[in-house]
Amino acid sequence: KMAAAGGLRRAGWRLWRGRAVVSKGSQHYPPLRALQASAALRRVSDEHKKEPLTSSSQQHFDSPPAGHQPEQKPQGPRPSYTGQGGQESEDYESEEQLQHRILTAALEFVPEHGWTAEAIAEGAKTLGLSVAAAGMFHSDGSELILHFVSECNSKLSELLQKEQKLVQLGEAEKKPIDEFLRDAVEARLRMLIPYIEKWPQALSILLLPRNIPSSLNLLTSMIDDIWHYAGDQSTDFNWYTRRAVLTGIYNTTELVMMQDSSPGFEDTWRFLENRVADAMTMSNTASQVQSTGEAVVQGLMGAAVTVSNAETSRAVR
Amino acid sequence: MAAARLCWCRCRALLSRPAGAVRARRGLAAGPEMHFGFQTVTEEERREKIYQVFENVAKKYDVMNDSMTLGIHRVWKDILVHKMNPYPGTLLLDVAGGTGDIAFRFINYVRSVRQHQLQRKLKHHQNLSWQEIFESYQKDELNSLGDSQVVVCDINREMLKVGKQKAQHLGYTEGLSWVLGNAEELPFDDDKFDVYTIAFGIRNVTRIDLALQEAYRVLKPGGRFLCLEFSHVSNPLLSRLYDLYSFQVIPVLGEVIAGDWRSYQYLVESIRQFPPQEELKAMIEDAGFFKVDYENLNFGIVAIHSGFKL
Repeated sequence: KMAAAGGLRRAGWRLWRGRAVVSKGSQHYPPLRALQASAALRRVSDEHKKEPLTSSSQQHFDSPPAGHQPEQKPQGPRPSYTGQGGQESEDYESEEQLQHRILTAALEFVPEHGWTAEAIAEGAKTLGLSVAAAGMFHSDGSELILHFVSECNSKLSELLQKEQKLVQLGEAEKKPIDEFLRDAVEARLRMLIPYIEKWPQALSILLLPRNIPSSLNLLTSMIDDIWHYAGDQSTDFNWYTRRAVLTGIYNTTELVMMQDSSPGFEDTWRFLENRVADAMTMSNTASQVQSTGEAVVQGLMGAAVTVSNAETSRAVR
Repeated sequence: MAAARLCWCRCRALLSRPAGAVRARRGLAAGPEMHFGFQTVTEEERREKIYQVFENVAKKYDVMNDSMTLGIHRVWKDILVHKMNPYPGTLLLDVAGGTGDIAFRFINYVRSVRQHQLQRKLKHHQNLSWQEIFESYQKDELNSLGDSQVVVCDINREMLKVGKQKAQHLGYTEGLSWVLGNAEELPFDDDKFDVYTIAFGIRNVTRIDLALQEAYRVLKPGGRFLCLEFSHVSNPLLSRLYDLYSFQVIPVLGEVIAGDWRSYQYLVESIRQFPPQEELKAMIEDAGFFKVDYENLNFGIVAIHSGFKL
């Protein structure tokens, strides 16, 4: 019964996220086009359909040669921030998919141009499109950043899924909770390293009121993923406290990383270790306090009973 | 039986009327009917009349624009170029851009973006030798527009003349070309331009669908179509005020300033005849553009439509 309630709560969390995401996606539905040969939208050939859903985030760190990117398909089960892929007229890729391709291509220009429309324009150029295609996106580059964050989150959950499979197959040891959390957050933060110089700019853009719903959405889904793979089965208030705590750890570590100049970001990882350890002790202390509290109450109750018994016995005598 | 025969005759008469009417119309004039302001004319007549209108107004075009819109048209055109956000290296085709307003704004914008780019590049390259710095200055000084170019195309020779004079007067020397051409049949190759703009011009095109198809043809894949045009105001109160201003004030201004009541009457009427925002959006989509959207300025007095060739 408890497990069902927890499952429902988790489902509710995802439904809320899903709803917010789908309503965005519906705006992107392209009109039905009759037999127009598209200039830039490519045919999704049969071969690519048979291929397993490759993660488009693989493209990240191996800089793709221009024009040779394999067809990207939107992630199936995980809702990306753009929502469901738009309607596809026959076998042509949708506008959404083309936009994904452009943004992925634009990432390699971010270290030079920052998270701006210029990076997107350069990315479009490498795909053989006109630089005016950058006009499809907002001029402050927020879509590029959100795309990047969502890709990182997908990579992280794949990583965690793979680890979980290894544990299930018995090929690896199940990590203790603090080590698991530490490794997950470290893996996720390491994805920022190639863009670390321009990341503060990205953070400030993500905090613009217009972008807060999407960025918050992505953050909470990532934290939720980490706890899910950590094996969190809680169904009580702990569910919320755990996520709040991990969000706090993640955000503070990210900020420390921005100012860290130590080799290999050692200071950041040590900071992370300390924060996770703090969180663990805090939860122990909390349960200790609880049990101490209970003991005190019981003591008081016992004392009250003793006193009343003594009174009664004196009264009787 | 007689009643039935009467019905039958009447039906035949009804059926034959449309065909007869078409034949009659065809006999009267060449080509299908079109609107010229609130008049009804043929396609050929419409083209001629519009050519004459702009021939007459060309010299006073800018002055009239300022007085009719109380100078707000400058803001509208600025917003158009800001929305375009052109990246240095962009090739722009400005159709019906006779007096060059959009072209000049484009050049200014690209020049300032290019300056920012160069400044940033310098900041990054802090450890260059003097020789390298000198060489990069030379290269970049000569390329202040970053290879961006504008081609101004107009069907009307007079408007182009005024535009060229303005360019000389304001000191625009590089990045501009002036071409005489018809929006319905552009004298350019396929897949050439990054951006196609038509500001307050598409209203005067006789076959809008042909113009849109030509726009699609000459744009590169990924290229953008932008259209700035008077559109329909949905707010009823504002609409009445706007009508009052349009029909009572503007032709009078036309007579007083340019000495030409009829041309400005035409201008105002043509705005009313132009399809509203959603209809124009559908037409643009029919031409093959994707991600078509429009932005109302001043409650719908003017609208910017944007589409991409994807």
